[in-house]
Amino acid sequence: MSGRHTGEQHHHTVEGTDPQLYVEVHEPAADAGLRPVLLLHGFSSSTKLNWEDTGWLAALLEAGRRVITVDLPGHGRSGAPEDMDSYSPSRIRADLLQVAFDAGARPLRDGDPVSGLDVIGYSLGSRLAWEFGATQPELVHRLVLGGPNIADPLAAFDLVAAQRYLADGTPIADESTAGLLKMAQGLPSNNIFALLSLVEAIKGEPFDPAEAIPHMPMLLVAGEKDDRAATMPELAELGAKSGSLVEQLLIPGRNHSNVITSRAFKQGAIDFLSV
Amino acid sequence: MSNAILESEAAMADGTPNHGVEQLSMQQALNRALDEVLAGNPKALIFGEDCGRLGGVFRITDGLQAKYGTGRVFDTPLAESGILGMSVGLAMAGFHPIPEVQFDGFAYPAINQIVCQIARMNYRSRGTMPMPVTLRVPSFGGIRAPEHHGESLEALFAHVPGLKVVSPSNPHEAYHLLKYAATRPDPVIFMEPKSRYWQKGGVNFDSADGSDSPAGDSPTGANVMRAGRHVTLVAWGAMVARCLQVAELAAEDGIDVEVLDLRWLKPIDEAALVASVRKTRRAVVVHEAPLTSGLGAEVAQLVTQGCFDTLKAPVERITGFDVPYPSGDLEDEYIPNIDRILFGIQRVLEYRRG
Amino acid sequence: MAEISFPLPDLGEGLIEATVLEWLVSPGDQVERNQPLVEVETTKSAVELPSPQAGKVVRIHGGPGDKINVGEPLIVFEVPDNTAGIVGTVPKEEAPKRRVRLSAVLDED
Repeated sequence: MSGRHTGEQHHHTVEGTDPQLYVEVHEPAADAGLRPVLLLHGFSSSTKLNWEDTGWLAALLEAGRRVITVDLPGHGRSGAPEDMDSYSPSRIRADLLQVAFDAGARPLRDGDPVSGLDVIGYSLGSRLAWEFGATQPELVHRLVLGGPNIADPLAAFDLVAAQRYLADGTPIADESTAGLLKMAQGLPSNNIFALLSLVEAIKGEPFDPAEAIPHMPMLLVAGEKDDRAATMPELAELGAKSGSLVEQLLIPGRNHSNVITSRAFKQGAIDFLSV
Repeated sequence: MSNAILESEAAMADGTPNHGVEQLSMQQALNRALDEVLAGNPKALIFGEDCGRLGGVFRITDGLQAKYGTGRVFDTPLAESGILGMSVGLAMAGFHPIPEVQFDGFAYPAINQIVCQIARMNYRSRGTMPMPVTLRVPSFGGIRAPEHHGESLEALFAHVPGLKVVSPSNPHEAYHLLKYAATRPDPVIFMEPKSRYWQKGGVNFDSADGSDSPAGDSPTGANVMRAGRHVTLVAWGAMVARCLQVAELAAEDGIDVEVLDLRWLKPIDEAALVASVRKTRRAVVVHEAPLTSGLGAEVAQLVTQGCFDTLKAPVERITGFDVPYPSGDLEDEYIPNIDRILFGIQRVLEYRRG
Repeated sequence: MAEISFPLPDLGEGLIEATVLEWLVSPGDQVERNQPLVEVETTKSAVELPSPQAGKVVRIHGGPGDKINVGEPLIVFEVPDNTAGIVGTVPKEEAPKRRVRLSAVLDED
């Protein structure tokens, strides 16, 4: 892995409390002279699982991009704050804005390829990226949204059933809830109670993509067999209707969990962001 | 095992001796020597980690298992105490074990077997149980390997009564010294300078006594690799080639350097050492091992003892440092380099009494 | 030339097998160390495996959809005989460089 690692828990307080986010800035060996790329991982994942082990970080550095990675609260090497507010999507977006500025991202200026910020999200990270792009038009240059969904599957998560299951093993009736919890428990590094806080916070601020639509060019990518991203065309239509340039890329044979390593996905994103 | 030995005795017939002069790498020269030893002595056995099927991580035993069978050339578990412990038993039973410890640093787990058994069994048994064990140890640094892969253990082994220690400096020496060592009735620690494995050089197979070397008429003792008048560089293993380079550079400055390849580190050829320094009256000893209690101290004492009246300067020691052998990136800072050796020469040249 | 085989590495989390998604190299390719070799998927995640060494690819094991157990052969490289298996780097033979010059008044007494 080339590049300077400036990994640290982020200590810049945005709204009074320390979000304890673990941020790394990775420098390419040969800089392509383009704006930094912010990577946002999915639920129950991490920078390492979503972007490093899958070859994304290496591919972006190879393409000469400066990369900002951040573990979401309760994930990876970030802290797991006690307060519910730290997990709300709006608070996370505010923290991400601070992270991006601290890492050197600056507002877009016409004709300056170093200005602005490109954002790549996956799954929950795509939801955050959509909202981040919609609310930060002066900063975000382009978006790549992997495995995106018009609604957040976490909003339908049966929190009570999950808590009961964790307390005394009562089986969970809802299949999606049971699946998500199993996934979250599969990784010993996950702080399961922090993840449930995140779910609860998301239920309080469910994804409504129509509420604010990003106006920068977007690339939406999903595996052909990704049920969780079956609504991707609706999301694309929403963006296109409001005048955004939206491209869609369907990766044959892949599903929500294995599209992430796809070379076609990476190359598509790198090409889309290379302008 | 007995069947395999019978098979290999049949194969022995085609163990053709080598003749003439060939350009070989040290790897190839050692391989040829082992081939001949196996062919000539049905009791000789080669074993160690990856020695058999793979032919050794450095390819020193390449092809020998295919030629002599799994009964004579075989892989062992990753357990050096077992490799050397088995050598004790095999030697007691009349075999000539030629075990390999894959890297110098892995000899440490077998120190008990080497020091407490192999080195003293002959003594303990009043000469009734000799230990003809030839332990090959890829040694010293220079290949940017991880920890435990660049140690210089000669002083440790030389300190143990009952062990002989030898290190070749080029392919010709490697061939003849290994053949000689593997036919001794005593335990020999054979330290192969791993950074020189790939270096080619002429091997004169006909000079079974090593007479291709300038002064060497025997596989025992030290060799003057280059004659000079002003200062003697004493070295062994990989440092000999570096000292020969230094001698070339010193000649540009009008300094005539003699390079003595000690070869045998136990016993040290005191007569050759003293003869050389009596002539040049100055000595610099160069080794990769750390300074303190390194073999350079022993060399300095032998020189002082034998040349005190004519010595023009205290013996200089240019060595590694008193730290664990560093990781590959720092290797060039640790191993004596050309400039450090030149500095040592300069110091003995400008030393004045009083 | 010698061949050197690499098994499917331990992917952690107690995983014992992985499914090949897509090979990124083919037999005959010359690959560099750390170059992506193959995408594999486990029950927990999808990962891209980087090459443990430089060399020419001789064989690859398993096509898309095939399961490979941890420790089973994944890829075979061809490497020069005398470097196969070595831990470290074969040293380069370079012309000697010096900064120190000797100066001495040699009294030939």
